[in-house]
This record gives sequence, C-alpha cells and structure tokens, in this order.
Amino acid sequence: MTQVSPNQDPFRAIADPNRRRMLDLMLGQERTVGFLADDLGIAQPSVSQHMQVLRLAGLVDARSEGRRTFYSVRPAELRGVAEWIAKYEAFWTGRLDALENHLSRMKSKGTRAK
Amino acid sequence: MKDIEIVRMLKFPRDSVWNALTDSAQLAAWLMPNDFRPEIGHRFTFRTKPAPGFDGTIHCEVLELSPPERLVISWRGGPLDTRVSFDLAETAEGTRLTLRHTGFGGLSNIIPRLVLGFGWKGLLEKKLPGQLSAPQPAGATAWR
Repeated sequence: MTQVSPNQDPFRAIADPNRRRMLDLMLGQERTVGFLADDLGIAQPSVSQHMQVLRLAGLVDARSEGRRTFYSVRPAELRGVAEWIAKYEAFWTGRLDALENHLSRMKSKGTRAK
Repeated sequence: MKDIEIVRMLKFPRDSVWNALTDSAQLAAWLMPNDFRPEIGHRFTFRTKPAPGFDGTIHCEVLELSPPERLVISWRGGPLDTRVSFDLAETAEGTRLTLRHTGFGGLSNIIPRLVLGFGWKGLLEKKLPGQLSAPQPAGATAWR
C-alpha cells in the first residue's frame, strides 16, 4: 500500500512515470480511471491510488457525473511547479555569469602577481 | 533524464574552472556561502535568503568527484530533492562547462507540451469558466 500524506508535494507526485503519463493523458480533456487503466495497462485500483497522490498534491480535479468520475489537470497548479524549474534555470544562468566574472578576476589577480 | 541543462564556453583553463567549483572560498564568491569540501560523501550546505516554504538552506552531499572533469552534488531545499552535475571538457578556447540540474520529476518533459500544445492561457481559458462560476469546494486552492 502506498502511504499518502496530505499536502503531498507536487514534485514527489510527478516523480512516478505512471503519474506523469496520467497527467499527460488528462491534459486538455477529462478522463476516467477506467480509461487511464486501459491506456497504461495497469489495474484500476493502482490508477486510483496514483490519482489519490495527484489529488493530494492539488494537481488534479474530480467531477462526478452519474456513477462516473471524471478527472482533469489543474493547470495553474502544474504551472506553479513549472515556475520552480524556470526560476532555477534563470538562477543558474545568473550564477554562471558570476562564475565567468569570478574567473576573470582571478586571472587578472594572477597576472598582477607575476 | 535532463531537466535543466546549460552549456557554457569559458575562456579559461579547465584547472582554473575546476578550482572555482571545488574550493569553498571560490564557490562562495560566485555561488553561495558554503562548507564544501572536495570529498565524496561530504555533506554540506549552501545558505541563501529564506523564502516562503524554504528556510534558505540547501542541503548537499558530494556524490561524484573526478578531477578535473566531473562533480555531482545532491541538492535538497524547500520542496526539491534534486541533483546538480558539472562536467568540464577541454576545448581549443578553454573549457566547455555543462551544468545539469535534474530530479524535477521529469516534469520539464511535459511542460513544453503544455505550453506549445495548449498554451497556458488557452489551457486556463478552456478549463476555467465553469469552475470560476461554480462555488469553490472547501479548501480549494485559489486560482492564480
């Protein structure tokens, strides 16, 4: 059994390839657990467990219609995760600029020392 | 799996770049204050400004160390459990540095599809109207 804690962080939620595939399939359209189980080729209870992880991370919404439940991605939540990555890309670009400046300073110091 | 990959051509000898990556004082000069030591298994931290959900400490461990070619460290802070690698290759001009920051869960493989396939704006417009007019379920996160 997968132990699920509330407010599971989205990075852990998407670390699993099956869950990423599920998000992919739910992008732009609602899906049922049955549909996802067929596509992934895994049992419905497993899909339900994965879905629970995604829901606790706030990445997925559910809507009931009769006896069926449709799930869809909450794009704003996914975007929050995407922004983390974008920020880190900008961070490293800035740090590598700083590295170049640092190397230039070291070099001119070395030149003066000679 | 690559999440972030940045390649930088540096007009400096590889040994100089390697020292800038593996000397604590030099790392502090261009990256962040730290207690790094160039030993496999050494645990250390980088310190930066705290932010919501992040105490400003990045917990790291030296995972790989192959002077003067490759350095890999783990990188944990806030919600992240990732790793950062630096690869150095000699070129005629100096050094080619490849930085990879991985472990974002492969999400970056989905993001381009999200943005290109639907566009964030399109995706939001498509999904939002019905949900905005309906009462928000208790505990629902506000749409940003």
